[in-house]
Amino acid sequence: MTPLEILKDLTDRFKQDIVGVFEKSPKRIYIEIKKEALVRVVLHVFRELGARFNTASGVDVRDHMEMLYHFTFDKIDAVFTFRIKLDKSNLEIDSLTPYFEGANWIERETTEVLGITFKNHPDMRRLLLPEDWPEGVYPLRRDYKEWDKNAIRDRGV
Amino acid sequence: MNLKQKALLKSLWVFHMSTGSCNNCDIEIIDCLTPRHDIERFGMVLVGSIKHADVLLVTGSVTRKCIPRIKRIYEQMPKPGFVVAMGECSLSRGMYINSYNCPLPLDKVIPVDVYVPGCPPRPEAMIAGIVKLIEKIKATSEGKK
Repeated sequence: MTPLEILKDLTDRFKQDIVGVFEKSPKRIYIEIKKEALVRVVLHVFRELGARFNTASGVDVRDHMEMLYHFTFDKIDAVFTFRIKLDKSNLEIDSLTPYFEGANWIERETTEVLGITFKNHPDMRRLLLPEDWPEGVYPLRRDYKEWDKNAIRDRGV
Repeated sequence: MNLKQKALLKSLWVFHMSTGSCNNCDIEIIDCLTPRHDIERFGMVLVGSIKHADVLLVTGSVTRKCIPRIKRIYEQMPKPGFVVAMGECSLSRGMYINSYNCPLPLDKVIPVDVYVPGCPPRPEAMIAGIVKLIEKIKATSEGKK
């Protein structure tokens, strides 16, 4: 199978779920999908097409947020990315951890640094931030402000 | 200078702690131990436990999670002990000075005796820093006497 054949299969099968397709290069394809369709598209790619879940990334692009799920087809050297735009007023998305364990830690990290909540995540504890970090402060958001009064931000010279 | 201090000067044992370093400084520490620079001629050796060490060598910008841990390690160090801050990150946090995760430089967390600047410092710079440390120990012990 070539990347274009996979893309054609996906666009035929999920015609009503796909918002847009962006081919950055023949081996690097971005597909924007609807939020409700995440689990069924991803599970088809993961289980039927045999892709490997590489990682997920969350981006704050000022007027909205994005979740990107990267899937690798190792045999044909292609990477497919599923992009979901999230409105800042409703940062909620379905969790993929019930289906494969690889999504567990990246979803926990995304929750604490960007404040995106994952529905049905079985074990939503803190992963990387320290215990005394205040609730509701998300360090990788664009509007993050310094909260620690004791922090020193000059070099002392 | 009593016997204990004389023995200390002949063989400073070093415990290396990485507090979120990028591993570049850590590689340079390994470089120091190779025959070209041969830091063992000063009697130095890297040890695996802070309880055997005289020198705590810190690399990396001190992260929030690391602050209580490095305090605990400093408390466990047998005294007299010395702290060497190595690399720009532990001196002033370098490029991570505005990071949410690096609120304090190392010398606001534990007292530091010798600073070795550089990103990463060359092995020669580290040897110079260590010689300065030995001179400092000598000067303080003679001053006390």
